[in-house]
Amino acid sequence: MAAASASPGLDFLRRFARNKAALVGLFVILSVIGLAIFASQLYPRPPLRIVGRPELWPFANPRHLLGTDSLGRDIAAMIVHGTRTTLLIGIFASLTATLIGVTVGASSAYFGGWLDETLMRVTELFQTVPNIIFILTIVSILGPDIWHITLAVGLVTWTPIARLTRAEFLTLRDREFVQACRSMGMSDLRIILGEILPNALPPVIVLSSLVIASAILFESAISFLGLGDPNIASWGGLIGDGRTLIRSSWYICAVPGLAIMATVLALNLIGDGLNDALNPNLRDRS
Amino acid sequence: MLKIVGRRLAQVAPLVLGVIVLNFSLIQLAPGSFLDVMSAEQQITDPAMLDQLRVTYGMDQPAHVQLLKYIWSVLQFDFGYSYRQNASVAEVIMAHLPATVLLMVTSIGVALFIGVAAGIVAAVKVNTIWDNLVSVFAVFFFAAPTFWLGIMLTILFSVKLGIFPVGGMREVGVTEGPIAAAFDVMRHLALPAITLGLFYAAIYARVMRASMLEVFRLDFVRTARAKGLAPTTIVLSHVLRNALLPVMTLLGLQLGTVLGGSVVVEAVFSWPGIGSLMLDSVQSRNFPVVLGVLVLSSLVVACVNVVVDLAYFKLDPRIRAR
Repeated sequence: MAAASASPGLDFLRRFARNKAALVGLFVILSVIGLAIFASQLYPRPPLRIVGRPELWPFANPRHLLGTDSLGRDIAAMIVHGTRTTLLIGIFASLTATLIGVTVGASSAYFGGWLDETLMRVTELFQTVPNIIFILTIVSILGPDIWHITLAVGLVTWTPIARLTRAEFLTLRDREFVQACRSMGMSDLRIILGEILPNALPPVIVLSSLVIASAILFESAISFLGLGDPNIASWGGLIGDGRTLIRSSWYICAVPGLAIMATVLALNLIGDGLNDALNPNLRDRS
Repeated sequence: MLKIVGRRLAQVAPLVLGVIVLNFSLIQLAPGSFLDVMSAEQQITDPAMLDQLRVTYGMDQPAHVQLLKYIWSVLQFDFGYSYRQNASVAEVIMAHLPATVLLMVTSIGVALFIGVAAGIVAAVKVNTIWDNLVSVFAVFFFAAPTFWLGIMLTILFSVKLGIFPVGGMREVGVTEGPIAAAFDVMRHLALPAITLGLFYAAIYARVMRASMLEVFRLDFVRTARAKGLAPTTIVLSHVLRNALLPVMTLLGLQLGTVLGGSVVVEAVFSWPGIGSLMLDSVQSRNFPVVLGVLVLSSLVVACVNVVVDLAYFKLDPRIRAR
């Protein structure tokens, strides 16, 4: 542990940078974000437009680098525009999950008693309901809209965040600095948000970045099952569309799957790297 | 032992009640009434008939009365009637449940076998090429979407190599007795079970490796080494059993996701289980079946959780003492 380090932020960055895999992950995610930002510049025309001959193999025509799908839509354009859908749903679902999870976990640990008991039962309830089935139910009731999918994914992924926040809050709740705040007459809300939360947040943020990864997987599964927003290009939807053609043109399924995998993998690597950088004493264990 | 089973089952009861209430709130959330959807599905336009349906489903009563009625009917296993299959919802679900449970149990078996074996290899040969190989595969399968992996396996093993069938559960027209039929189902089961199992195998391999390494450093292992036990004996009968505990914990926590994952895998391989039923019902807006699946699958998860807990007691006698 570099206890005498001048700046904890710099120290953190140095520890993160030492992890090569995490740096690779960071590079991949930054590229994906770049693609999402410049999607309209790279492929100005609507991605769901038909541009050429159907089932054109990748690299066969330089104008359509990754080939075309069963309708003759450019796969590369759909993947580039799909990054927006994927990232938006991933990030907002993770934010939703973090908001619910932190609220539940914090109030459950801070107030304890019957509230704790009730909230933990509710958490258990959400853990028992099979996640995809729950998402499908919500989406089928509310309708296949991108925001409904985001909400549904957030609703099934908050439980680990709530548990972690609760555990962090339990260790911090009775520390001296919190007791000092209490004796000063600070309000509960101010103690929770201003004093305990900043100390509990780092591990929660790591978990939230991992939740983005699982949110992306859920979104792609929903789109794959044909319940995604039909007016938006999405990686999972692309795989679902290409599924009927696996005998002739299996690349339609393979390419977007690789994109999903690379993104999820990168997020996992970043999560691991953050974890190691935050808990340097844990890293050397195995 | 019996007392523990009883206590765990008693904990399941409020959980089921919670799922029912959750279900009911979802129904209330639906835009337009439940009745609109049902009458649209059946194409009922007669106002007298609509009124009658409203009374039949108790929609003329306030929400809390409806909730109590709903809880009561679910407790009696009455989830309503599915016109699409022309049978009660409970019957429809029960007809599809065995296929899903078979898929679930097999893939958990695959996941445990591959995951634990890979974890042991990685831990015993730590920091060698074997360890790295296991890590790479684990990272790969952890990040791959299951449905995509399923399609890729289908392309390789069914389309290119022709070893396994593309989908379904039985070959049409196989009637050569129970053994041939079982073999037939096994051939169809292989790819979906591997697809679903590999994701969890990846997790278990990582956890198993970490917990094996942890246990290797404990005193009793050193004692076992000191008294001259063979390395294989130490690994298999001393370390393995202790290292399995975290894997079992994880298994219990993930049962819900295994069942959820089977929905997606069933869709890929047209496996005739709960997942296919769910998808069909969602697409046809057959809400009684959708909600029935939600309640029953939660119940299955809760029950299997109890079984996992019991396995935990068997593995670790220390818990029993408490």
